[in-house]
This record gives sequence, C-alpha cells and structure tokens, in this order.
Amino acid sequence: MKKFKFKFRADITAVTVVVFIVCIVLVAVMLMQFRTVEQTDITEIENMRESELREALVEWKTKYEEVDTQLADVNDKIAEYQKTINGNEESSKLVDEELNESNLLVGKADVYGPGVIVTLTNTNDFQYIAEDLLDLVNELRYAGAEAISINGIRILANTDIVDLFDYSVIGINLQRVQSPYIVKAIGDKDYISSVLNLKGSGFIDRYNKLGRSVSLEEENRVQIPKSNSDFNIEYMQEVTEE
Amino acid sequence: MKKRQIAITLGIMCFILTAAICIQIKTMNAASSTVSQTLEDNGLRDEVLKMKERYDNTYRELETAQKQLEKVRQEATQNDETAEAKEQELKENNMLLGVVDVKGEGVQIDLQDAQVTDATLNAADQIVHYDDVQWIVNELKNAGAEAIEVNGQRIVNSTSITCEGNIIKINGERVGSPFCIKAIGSKNLLYGGLERAGSYMDYLRERGLVAEIKKVDDITIAKYSGVLSYDYLKEDE
Repeated sequence: MKKFKFKFRADITAVTVVVFIVCIVLVAVMLMQFRTVEQTDITEIENMRESELREALVEWKTKYEEVDTQLADVNDKIAEYQKTINGNEESSKLVDEELNESNLLVGKADVYGPGVIVTLTNTNDFQYIAEDLLDLVNELRYAGAEAISINGIRILANTDIVDLFDYSVIGINLQRVQSPYIVKAIGDKDYISSVLNLKGSGFIDRYNKLGRSVSLEEENRVQIPKSNSDFNIEYMQEVTEE
Repeated sequence: MKKRQIAITLGIMCFILTAAICIQIKTMNAASSTVSQTLEDNGLRDEVLKMKERYDNTYRELETAQKQLEKVRQEATQNDETAEAKEQELKENNMLLGVVDVKGEGVQIDLQDAQVTDATLNAADQIVHYDDVQWIVNELKNAGAEAIEVNGQRIVNSTSITCEGNIIKINGERVGSPFCIKAIGSKNLLYGGLERAGSYMDYLRERGLVAEIKKVDDITIAKYSGVLSYDYLKEDE
C-alpha cells in the first residue's frame, strides 16, 4: 500500500490519466447498462400490446375462416338443389345428407370420435353434486367438446343437471344417475386434457388438490349414444321475415 | 505546472461526463417516445379491424346464402312427400340447434348487481357471478325451456359460461350486469319452476341482488351468432 501511495504521489500526471480512463470506462458501462435496461422494458410493453393484438388477429382470422368455409358449403348445397330443380330430379338424397349432418349435432344420432373420459367417484368424505357436474360440462364445452355424455345420457343444449332427494341423487334430463359418474367427451383430446389439467383453474387440478376422486383418460375412440329425449317443440316457432 | 495539468484533466472529465449524461437522456427520450411503436401497433390494429370487417361481410353473405338455401330446399322438396317431411325436420333441428331466431311465450329474468351496498352483506356476494347465471340457465332448462338467451347470446350445445377476471364470457363474448335472460317455454311452468319457496331467485335476492322474473306472451330469442362446426365427431352406424 505504502509503496503505491508513494508512487502515485510521485507522478500526478499518471494518476490523473488512470482516473480519467477509469471514469470513461465507468461512464461507458453505465451508458450501456441504462440502454439495455431501457430497451428490455420497451420490448416487454411492445410485446404485450402486440401479443394482444396478434391474439385478436388470430381470433378474427379463425372466425372468418370458419364462416368462409360454411359459406362455400352452403353455396354448394344451393347449387345442388338448383340442379335437381332444373333437371326435375329427386331431391330426397340431398335432404338426407343435410339431415344426417344436422342430426349428429342435434343429438339424434350415435356418434364417436377421439376424446376424453373423466371419472368422478363419491367417497366417504365427499359426494359429487349437480354443481360439480355442471362445472365439468361447462369446462368441457369451453375446451371445444363436440359431444358430451354422463353415464350414457347425452348432454345437449337444453339438458339440465339437478340435485334430487336432498343431494343423494343427481337428475339429468329426468333420469337418475349415481356415482361413479363417467363423463365422456368427443373433441381434441390433447387440448381438452390440457385445459382440464391446467394448474390452478383446471377441473382435474382443482378437484385433485381438494383430495377428491377424479381421473381423466384420453381415448382414440369415445362412443357417445344419441339422446333419448323426444325433441318435441311445443312453444317456439321460427321467426320468419315478412 | 502540475496544478494546471490536473485542472485540464478534470475539465475534460467533466465535459465527457456531461456529454455522457446528455447522450443518456437523449437515448431515454428516444426509447420512451412511443411514436415508432405506436405506428407498428397501428399497423396491427388496422389488420385486426380489416379482418373483423372481412368476417362481418362474409357472415352477412352467409346469412343470405342460408336463407336462399332454405328457399331452394323448399322448392326442390315440394313435390316429394318424404323429402318434404325431412325438410320440416331440418327446420326443427335448426330451431333446436339455435341457428335461427325463434319466438313464443316464456319468461324474462332481470338480474343485476346490488344497487345499494349493504355493509352487513359480503361485498363479493353483491355482484352477479358466472355460476349464478349458469345456475339460473340450468333451472330454466329444468323447467322445460326450449330456447334460452343471455344478453343476446343464445345458449347452444357448445355454449360455455366462464369467468375471466372481472368479466363473464358467454360463447366467447363479454357480457356483464345487468343481465337479461330470456327463455321460451310454458310461461307458467318456467315461472313456477324459478319462483318457488327457497328458490335460487330467493337466494339471489337475499344477497341484495336485483332478481326479477316476469311472464311474457311473445318473446323473441336471437340465433347463435357463431358458426356451428365440428372436426372430430363422426356418425356411429
């Protein structure tokens, strides 16, 4: 130390030069650092805004493509019907095709496809109630399930799920079901499974954490039967334009 | 001599430091100004708007095409009894699927967050949650509703009612209080099913919420605003 002090004092020019260089280096480092910090902050904000916009763009694009495909489909059908009218041909086959497709969605036909099977079992500590099943069905729909059944009963737009006899039985569409509840869903099995297993908000994750008996299996072929309801329409009628 | 050297060096250092600070401030200004970034975002925003417009236009085209399809189908099947019956069933299916506007007798339920905050009640209880809407819809189904709509969103087979932070989404669209829930069915059965002793409607009112139901002779329910499509479903013969 002493030696240094002595040397420094001896040559002040050298000292100033060293201090000068150190200062420059420090300033340069500071500058670089500030710049980097500033830049990362900005890109983060940019990304956030951009990502939101990009998300919206993708969403609208998907919706547009869906509508566009459907439009092409409807136009094809119009052309085919027009052909039967012009050629005085049978239109029965065409209506059949349309009706078959419509029956799949409305629940009048047995269907199959890839999907998941979720099994809920009552234990001594916990009994599943209607709300739990409703919650699960809601989440399956959110994950894009195209057909759902619980213990062989097809779940459709107008299907209710309620508690009966003081929560001892669950009623679905006027039929009684009991544990184990086997909930089948057809759709993108990987996506459905990832939504249901989502940490914190997914059905499987939430119920597992509460220690309830719930399991999910992905299947390549899930079979879902048609609905046994009568599809009677008593009160509603189509609004037709005058 | 030595003193002068020191003074010069210090002067240069001060100059450089000042320059550095100036540069730094300039950099920060340039970085925080959002001009370039907003421009880029605006480009994206334009794209989003254009895509939405494209969707809207195509959707309108689809609506016209669907009506035309109904007409040609009717024309093509009018001389064939079995085909005519099938055409009729298709129409009924469309009502059940929720892809056409429908009308009939039914009920209308108005549901609203508490208007006066009551300190004796839990604050979270005084707003309408997604599961409240879900349960009311479920009760309507139980009472035999044939068609249901919540704030313009038709309840179809693929409808999910979810909560995302502070907003409720139905069919992927945002909805919020006040809620107007319409249902077509027997107005007496629907009313009786929802307004019974110890009903969910009662529970909602106990929480300080506005929950009213009235019978309506002629109510119109909007069709589903999206497109029904499927990729995984197949018919099991």
